[in-house]
Amino acid sequence: MKRPLLLIFLLTALSQWSCTDRCEQTRRYKRYTPVTLTVAQVRQGIRSEAARELVNPGKIYAKGNYLFINELKQGLHIVDNTNPAAPRKVAFLAIPGNGDLAVRGNILYADSYMDLVALNIADPLNVKEVGRVGDVFQSGQFDGAWWHSSGVGSVTLSDSRMDIVTETIKTDCENNGNSGIWRGGWLATSSFDSRALSSAAPATSGQAGSMARFALYDRYLYTVSQSDMQLFDIKNLEQPQRGAKINMGWGIETIFPYKDKLFIGSNSGMFIYDNANPSKPTLLSTFQHAFACDPVVVTDTRAYVTLRSGTNCRRGSDQLDVIDITNLSNPTLIKTYPMQNPHGLGVDLPNLFICEGKHGLKSFDISSDLNVKQLEHLNNMDAYDVILLPNKLMLMIGKDGLYQFDYANPSQLRQVSVIPVKRLEI
Amino acid sequence: MKKWAFVLLFLASSMAQAQDAFKRHYVNMTEFGGLFGRVMPENNWNGTLNRTVTNRVNFTMQTFNGVQLKPRLAVGATVGVDWYNTALLMPIAAGVRYDLTRNKTKKSGLFASFDAGYAVRWLHADATNYETKGGMMLNPGVGLKIGMKSGSALILSLTYKRQQARVQNPLGWNESSNFEERVYNRMAFRVGVSF
Repeated sequence: MKRPLLLIFLLTALSQWSCTDRCEQTRRYKRYTPVTLTVAQVRQGIRSEAARELVNPGKIYAKGNYLFINELKQGLHIVDNTNPAAPRKVAFLAIPGNGDLAVRGNILYADSYMDLVALNIADPLNVKEVGRVGDVFQSGQFDGAWWHSSGVGSVTLSDSRMDIVTETIKTDCENNGNSGIWRGGWLATSSFDSRALSSAAPATSGQAGSMARFALYDRYLYTVSQSDMQLFDIKNLEQPQRGAKINMGWGIETIFPYKDKLFIGSNSGMFIYDNANPSKPTLLSTFQHAFACDPVVVTDTRAYVTLRSGTNCRRGSDQLDVIDITNLSNPTLIKTYPMQNPHGLGVDLPNLFICEGKHGLKSFDISSDLNVKQLEHLNNMDAYDVILLPNKLMLMIGKDGLYQFDYANPSQLRQVSVIPVKRLEI
Repeated sequence: MKKWAFVLLFLASSMAQAQDAFKRHYVNMTEFGGLFGRVMPENNWNGTLNRTVTNRVNFTMQTFNGVQLKPRLAVGATVGVDWYNTALLMPIAAGVRYDLTRNKTKKSGLFASFDAGYAVRWLHADATNYETKGGMMLNPGVGLKIGMKSGSALILSLTYKRQQARVQNPLGWNESSNFEERVYNRMAFRVGVSF
């Protein structure tokens, strides 16, 4: 009685289960889709809007009691920071294709894809476009999505849109790393790669304030693109004029003005430009390092450079370099300290603050070059970039939000406030 | 409550009875053979259904060590090694062997087997940036015992093996996660000895 039953059960089970291996590969990735925009659409897109949530914040900028937080490619959040304990989002300034900004007086300079625009922000709720220099930038990228100007006088602009896609495919269970790249992202990815190759190096994600690409000095605005430094004469604040263009080689990432010098961070080294004649900066020296992403901050005699690894940064390492720049013509490395994944940084002697990406924020005592001491490590937040304001107030932006800290005691940072971010996870 | 006590009492007494006529002893079944199956991923590429079919055979071996608890029932542990094309897994399982027919004089007959456990990756080696993990394993089946003069028996068995695994793939450009869930469904045909 038992035997036939068992046999029937087993036979049924065997016939129900096929002898077929079933394997599914799941990938989550950024997909880039080409988009064509019209230049007219871009140029008419500037307007003041009601304040909105932070979603994908980029660079931060502080001016007086106002903070400007870039919303990648969308525009700028204007924040009234009169009371740092309770910052108030005042308005959102929509600027298509915006990633960088600088403010002098009541005039805000911002990039809008290929154009530089000058906006009067005296009334943040009613921002007016006062000047525009057309077709000055050739290309750029946001979150790895590149755009290219089609040339002076063209009516269209090639852009790409980034989507986060989750894709599941069935595989043959023979994992060799090739399965699954056929579809979807491949076409866009390959085109991205070729562009990246043609420009020798993709820029970093550039979300750090110490990684600004805009700098103001004297009566000039300096902007760096992948390969060039473009100057704008802003003697008349409202009417920027196109100035000299200086070729600097590929992979330029950040510009940090200090006194009459310009420190340029590229992914192959740090360039020091003498800016005694602000209309024509001249190269003083170059400090070479391994290929990596590298924001720079500077004091009178020292430069602090962080190198980080990451997809965009190729074969970088994660470290802090302390460089002696007493002799600007011959910068020399004093010591290298290992870091986790440093992004932006800020210096206020005798302290240095480093954003370690997902590893959080660190404060250091740098009074001794050869013995940089870590004072505190806040690791419960994502940290991309810092700006140190007077009154020992620090602005720190990360994926989680815009934090403000009181760093009167660098060993114990006191959080003053936070504006949260509703960011897409990738 | 009373009912359960009665059942327990009955079971205990029946076991005691069994022990009178039967002495528990150590059992070993060591087998090796092949895992037979195929893989036919079917994907929809831009509206076109595309299927590839590949047959698969992999080497398997295992050893069951246990106690003959009852005349027909043995329980124990099964440890094996399975050489899949891209994973070398080592299943460690609890197993039972139950005689379906029993010829007392010849020690021959049909038996059923069932193993359930988890495969570990101790023997596996990963390529750079790959991380393979084992998973749950189920292996029910039937076998034939052919008794020999020495007292041991030759075994032929046909079982169905289901083995899960997970592979963490290296991240490609723009990827934030990339992994593969695997289920190996195979017909296992093995030969071996039992004593």
